[in-house]
Amino acid sequence: MANQSKDTAAAAVSGFFKAIGGFFSSFGTAAAKGDAFVKLSLLWWGAGYARRKQYVKAVIMTVLEVALILFTFGFAMDYVPKFGTLGTVKPEKVFNMQTMKNEWNDYDNSFQILLFSLFSFVVWFAAFVVWMKNVVNAYALQKKAEAGKHINTFKEDLHSLKEENFHITLLTLPVLGVVIFTLIPILLLILVAFTNYDQNHMPPTSLFSWVGINNFLSLFGGGGLTVSFGYSFVRVLGWTLVWAFFSTFTTYIGGILLSLLLNSKKTRLPKLWRTLFIVTIAVPQFVSLLLVRNFFSNGGIVNTICSNIGLTGFLRDAGLVSTSYIPFLSAPGWAHVMIILINIWIGVPYQMLISTGVLMNLPVDQLESARVDGATPFQIFRKITMPYLLFVTGPALVTDFVKNINNFNVIYLLTENVYTTTNQVMANSQAKEVDLLVTWLFRLTQDYYNYKMASVIGIVVFIICAIFTLVAFNRMIKGDKEGTYQ
Amino acid sequence: MKKMKSNRTSTIVLHNLLIAVLAIIWLIPIVWLLCTSFSSYSGMNTSTFFPKEWSITHYVKLFQPDSVAQFPQWFLNTFIIACFTCVISTMFVLMVAYATSVMRFPMRKPLMNMAVILNLFPGMLAMIAVYFTLKSFNLTNSYAGLIMVYSASSGLGYLIAKGFFDTVPRALCEAARIDGCSEARIFFQMVLPMSRPIVVYTVISSFLVPWMDFVYAKMILNAGISSKYTVAIGLFKMLDKSLINTYFTQFCAGGVLVSIPISALFVIMQKFYVEGITGGAVKG
Repeated sequence: MANQSKDTAAAAVSGFFKAIGGFFSSFGTAAAKGDAFVKLSLLWWGAGYARRKQYVKAVIMTVLEVALILFTFGFAMDYVPKFGTLGTVKPEKVFNMQTMKNEWNDYDNSFQILLFSLFSFVVWFAAFVVWMKNVVNAYALQKKAEAGKHINTFKEDLHSLKEENFHITLLTLPVLGVVIFTLIPILLLILVAFTNYDQNHMPPTSLFSWVGINNFLSLFGGGGLTVSFGYSFVRVLGWTLVWAFFSTFTTYIGGILLSLLLNSKKTRLPKLWRTLFIVTIAVPQFVSLLLVRNFFSNGGIVNTICSNIGLTGFLRDAGLVSTSYIPFLSAPGWAHVMIILINIWIGVPYQMLISTGVLMNLPVDQLESARVDGATPFQIFRKITMPYLLFVTGPALVTDFVKNINNFNVIYLLTENVYTTTNQVMANSQAKEVDLLVTWLFRLTQDYYNYKMASVIGIVVFIICAIFTLVAFNRMIKGDKEGTYQ
Repeated sequence: MKKMKSNRTSTIVLHNLLIAVLAIIWLIPIVWLLCTSFSSYSGMNTSTFFPKEWSITHYVKLFQPDSVAQFPQWFLNTFIIACFTCVISTMFVLMVAYATSVMRFPMRKPLMNMAVILNLFPGMLAMIAVYFTLKSFNLTNSYAGLIMVYSASSGLGYLIAKGFFDTVPRALCEAARIDGCSEARIFFQMVLPMSRPIVVYTVISSFLVPWMDFVYAKMILNAGISSKYTVAIGLFKMLDKSLINTYFTQFCAGGVLVSIPISALFVIMQKFYVEGITGGAVKG
């Protein structure tokens, strides 16, 4: 688990820019110092290869270039020019003189314009990189030819995909998948955050347009009429952070304690016990959580038991409950505590599993010598076991915190259709007291089609996660320990 | 001396008793699930923990599909999706993990850094846009769309497998390279067979994704056609306010039936997972 996040995000950013800088400078040298054919390959992509007799590559590059031109004029130009306005022609029925019928006009679809423009930008960006890389390659070939070195034939190039360029073979498809299914969508949603794409502006029946940072203003409480968004945002954000903190630490500590308990020499049949605990997390969450939510529902079995043994009456006398049942998952306060408790139920065995794996690697000689020196079990735990665990699982703690900020399942499955907010201001912005930012985001898109606000919330979630990760990682681990075990 | 011994026995008893109590607390809801699924009453039993009458009618009913509950169909849907997802994701994860762990190339660090940054975005956010993209290609409410959603970005989850590959001794790869072994052969015939725990872990965990997932399925399969649901969505729909009184016990029965194979796989997987992280360190 410790290996999971050793890359500090700060190093990520700086390394990323360094790589870009290096790429540009090599392109500059190539374009400046290259011979005529290298310079020609700025225009005709295949030139450099053709000069060095790599004809197949030259043809491939030329075909790519033609494809790019066709793409640009046959597809991208239909959308990109409208990117500034996101479309102006509303759908209307127009009377067609030739067919004597009412027909739809050639209307603009704002969403398609946005999506396909973005897609074109990404393609152009990729083409730009290929174009630069191509010149660098052509220059490298020129250098090789000048030095009288062997220049690969196409067959040898193909073969190299199995050899020193094997990483290209391995990475092409996964990276493509990530670009199409993660990168482009994220960019798209970032763009949507600056538009008024919501229920009143749903393509294809109506258009949406750019609104600048208005959505951000209304989220942070500056937007006059939609002031409820600002209020709900603060409430939801507060609960999200409280939830992430408590859920991370309760399960972390609980998991370590449980694994120490199970791995103790005093435990009989440790495997049996461990399996029993694992069974609770092995049941798919939608089964176990939906079940637990009915277990604790207002008319559910736990409430029946509680009222039978007089607990409900006692709590009512104490003023903690005003209804004839205990609103485990349907009143603020109660629901918050219950959600964290139920999360302990579902999270501790998982953490136990991880700690068990780590504890097996505990440096035994240290434990032995401590014992010989007469340390008590508690001292050993405090001075050896705990620091070791913290060292190994510390980074995982950070990722767990971020994961809990985005922990959709627990909240959604436990409270959807069960919890209704009585807070009118929150209800106005479709939020509930028990919502996390992500469940709120999900409801805004799924039930209310409020994509602009959902995107804004998504960006805020990202910023929170990014800042937290940056700060935490910079404090916890310095540098890259990748090679330690190799 | 004798006193000390009895003292130790009593702490052992107490210790195990504590574990037993905890285990019971942890298992109560699961036991309730099992018991309720054998109830003859189809709504939720709210008065007693154990059902008043036991029967297996609701298991039988699960295999007699009606317009709402089509459990066998859901199971089949999920199974098909899981198989495809499993193959594609496993390939992607292992490929990315191997490339970033064993091979050295200029774009390696920037790519890994991009992955760190992308992982910070809530997956949900991307999915909203993916939903629209799929919709414009008419791929929502289809297996293909869901398989793509589950597996296309799976390369981002390469870190656990990379951590394992990191521990494969470099000297072995070097030796193979000197003997004229191609990179592809090193990957397929050397590193993969040596990394059995992590391969099994990856296979099982990616197979489990469609079984465990709820939110993406709900997003993509939103047309309300019962025969296209996965198990998760189908069972969730059974608990709608209007249906819960007729279908609650069937939900429990379905939950039990799904949980048995999933739990079995999960228990196997966690063994390999622990082996994967511990085995690696021992080698180093």
